[in-house]
Amino acid sequence: MARAITYDSRLYGWTRVKEFINARFINMLAAFLFLLLAFFLVYPIIAVLIKSFQGPEGFTLSYYKHFFTHAYFFQSLYNTLLLGLINTFLCLVIGFCFAYMTTRGPMALRKPLKLIAMVPLIAPPYLFAVSLIILFGRVGLITNTFNVDWEIYGFDGVVIAQTLAFIPLAFLMLENTIKSLNPNLEESAYDMGATEGRIIRTITIPLLTPGLLKAALLVFVMTIAEFGNAAVLGGRTPFLAPDTYTMITGEADFHMGSVLSIMLIIPCIIIFFVHNYLISGKKFTTIEGKPIASEPRKMSLLVKLPFIAVTFISGFVIFVCFAVVIVAAFVKILGVRNEFILAHMLDFRHNMAIYNSIKVSFIAALIGGSIGTLLAYVIVRGKFFGRTFIEMVALSGFALPGTVIGVGYLLAFSAPPFKLTGGILILALNCVFRFLAVGVEAGIAKLHQINIEIEEASSDMGASFIATFSRIVLPIMFPAFVAGFIYTFMTTMVSLSAVVFLVSPGYELAAVSIFNAAVYGKIGLASATTLKMIVIVILCMITLSVLSRFTKLDIEHKGGAA
Amino acid sequence: MMDANQKPMLIIKDIRKAFGANEVLKGISIDVKKGELVTFVGPSGCGKTTLLRIIGGFTEHDSGEIILEGQSIGHLPPNLRDTRICFQNYALFPHMTVAGNLAYCLKIQKWKKDKIKERVEGLLKLVQLEGMGERMIDKLSGGQQQRVAFARALAAAPKVLLLDEPLSNLDANLRLLMRDEIRRLQTELHITTVFVTHDQFEAMAISDKIVVLSDGIIQQVGSPVEIYDHPVNEFIANFVGYVNFLDATIDTIDTETCGSKVSTKYGKFKITIEQNDIKTGDEVVLVIRPETISISLSNETAEQNVLCGTLTRYMYTGSLAKCSVNLGDREIIIDLYNPRDRANFSKGDKVDVTIPRNVHLLKKETSPGQKSD
Repeated sequence: MARAITYDSRLYGWTRVKEFINARFINMLAAFLFLLLAFFLVYPIIAVLIKSFQGPEGFTLSYYKHFFTHAYFFQSLYNTLLLGLINTFLCLVIGFCFAYMTTRGPMALRKPLKLIAMVPLIAPPYLFAVSLIILFGRVGLITNTFNVDWEIYGFDGVVIAQTLAFIPLAFLMLENTIKSLNPNLEESAYDMGATEGRIIRTITIPLLTPGLLKAALLVFVMTIAEFGNAAVLGGRTPFLAPDTYTMITGEADFHMGSVLSIMLIIPCIIIFFVHNYLISGKKFTTIEGKPIASEPRKMSLLVKLPFIAVTFISGFVIFVCFAVVIVAAFVKILGVRNEFILAHMLDFRHNMAIYNSIKVSFIAALIGGSIGTLLAYVIVRGKFFGRTFIEMVALSGFALPGTVIGVGYLLAFSAPPFKLTGGILILALNCVFRFLAVGVEAGIAKLHQINIEIEEASSDMGASFIATFSRIVLPIMFPAFVAGFIYTFMTTMVSLSAVVFLVSPGYELAAVSIFNAAVYGKIGLASATTLKMIVIVILCMITLSVLSRFTKLDIEHKGGAA
Repeated sequence: MMDANQKPMLIIKDIRKAFGANEVLKGISIDVKKGELVTFVGPSGCGKTTLLRIIGGFTEHDSGEIILEGQSIGHLPPNLRDTRICFQNYALFPHMTVAGNLAYCLKIQKWKKDKIKERVEGLLKLVQLEGMGERMIDKLSGGQQQRVAFARALAAAPKVLLLDEPLSNLDANLRLLMRDEIRRLQTELHITTVFVTHDQFEAMAISDKIVVLSDGIIQQVGSPVEIYDHPVNEFIANFVGYVNFLDATIDTIDTETCGSKVSTKYGKFKITIEQNDIKTGDEVVLVIRPETISISLSNETAEQNVLCGTLTRYMYTGSLAKCSVNLGDREIIIDLYNPRDRANFSKGDKVDVTIPRNVHLLKKETSPGQKSD
């Protein structure tokens, strides 16, 4: 009898609709999210690709031919790749020195060195361009005081600024790998008579190889895509990212702009796939025992000295860069007219820009946090075909140069039917999809922490899928949402390379204002706005760390908002 | 087996160590003779691994001395000590082959290539891994990795081998097998070994000498027999197996006929007292192991050393039956070996419990504290 009633209610009416939705909810959600990804992440890139091949009479290779036959473009490509290589090398060396000292070095130095290596994270990467101009610019402090005849505008300047900006990224990744390295391995070598130098050479570095490689790839992608430093300090030296910008905004040549974008994206895509392959590929496994905190070994002076030298010098440079920006914010023209003024801090247009940035970042954070959480759920719990593909697309935004996204959004969303340019939404959306990775990864991590049996218990007790989802899954995933929210907020705040294409006159963003001020030599103004940004980012980070302490969610910091 | 007058090879003298305010080792002194296998055993957090790491040179001690063959080595870093540690997780170098791992130490000591090859072959043979030299570490089973770790530690013939819970990552059967294997090789090579474990039964099975640590002090040092049959306090008695404690007072001592008498709440017992620090009138605790007690269905006659009670539990586990007998205000636990051939007991039976004459006595005031042997 009872069975017949259930059967009937299943067949007819609202219950049946509900059943239908419940059974397919996760797939429908996945489809919806995939459409979003396709539309806001894949489609703009395809638009760039199409534009680069699209001549007045259809398909053409002439733009590419133009690229490869002009020495200027070749130089630009060459400079960009060379910059990437040099930067990666320097960041890895410095990052390794810091990471080794903070994990294996003297206890007293561990905390302070970690702090200094992380400090650049709180600033937008182009802070270093600003501070280098203050120090070495045409009227720079050091240039004037010591009469140095050295042009900061050019390749060297960009290398220095970029290296300083990406130390934290290399450091964090390497520190992570060294930490996951069982200290007993090095202790065993030590026990068998190996000296510190020999341990580093034969045990530590070989074991770190996968981690080093991953860090190298990421730093490489980040540095070649970084726009701000190269645009401000590049001078007459061509680099792909700023050249793309000039091509589009200066000469309005969308075809060549697209070609340059494609050139920028190719290394990134290659590296993204290599990176994914490495992650899935072989890892050195060791048998887990009880974790023993590594105790510092007695390092001989010969080994210690280079580590101390590298970390102390770069730490000092980072400190000076921050200090001059903070001072410059309150001084009329640092080094020229050292009068205390508040005009830079109180500049109306820049404060409006900060306000706009906060608004855009908040919208981006809200959307990004939600999409990230839902994506994580779909990726972990879904059982449909193509799950890993969705994950890959979602994470790829991280590796895409902001410049390319900017060009892509301009091409894809500036004309009907999808006219979004000129609005505030497009400024938020490009950041949402570029910085999705962290929210997704935090969500995945959170979901892996909780057993699927919790959800099964809920449905066992009679809850429908939607009830389980809203009452069990969402509350559990809330910390991951907040992590994604704050991360997106923070990165959108400082992000420059994509929005620089998309801002409309009258709706300035802080990052773009800093960029323009720096380009036109209004260093005080640039410094003041950078300082405000640092304060906002610090506040976000504090929230994030408080959150991760309360929720035991390890939120991976990923630097590098270009 | 061991020469009693032999001079100790490794002397550990009054080692103290504190991590911040937490005193982990409060003055540890042990002598280890050549070829001896000494085990540190104790509950987790008792400081046994810290002590091992101090001997190896990985952790600096606050005070005390470590003397190896007459030379103080306490100040030396691990790479200059002739001790070799084998970590719980083996710490095999995953980026090298088995042979590469075994040769690592030899290369550092600048052995000739052909000598290294020969030695590696010898080591592989020793631990029964012939032909596995070119394998990568992650292609080995847990037991094989254990063997490689052991062989690697032995490679350059160190004077002292330090083993930190080497068996804890193996499953139960393999653990027994490797335990016997390590003991066999250790005896064969006559290598001085310090072994750390939290497993008291492993310690009992493998050691020449057991050092029981708790709260940073040595509770007792002794052979497995001494530790099990003559524990110095209730902690040790409990630590190495289940035990029934029974409060008693000494009535008379008669060492000639083994007929000393004690009185307890449950009546008077006749027991053997071999300990000569016990006097008439002393308050003592009888340490009675479950397997030394026998029970039978009650025949309602009062006999010497027999208590009457009710069987409240009879758990048949194959090789033995675990029984609990209620004596009115407490229960005692009895292990009945070879239960198949005994009477059929069932819950609720009235039973006679026979307390053995040969029991160990603890003086009442002996609270857990240090005692050297």
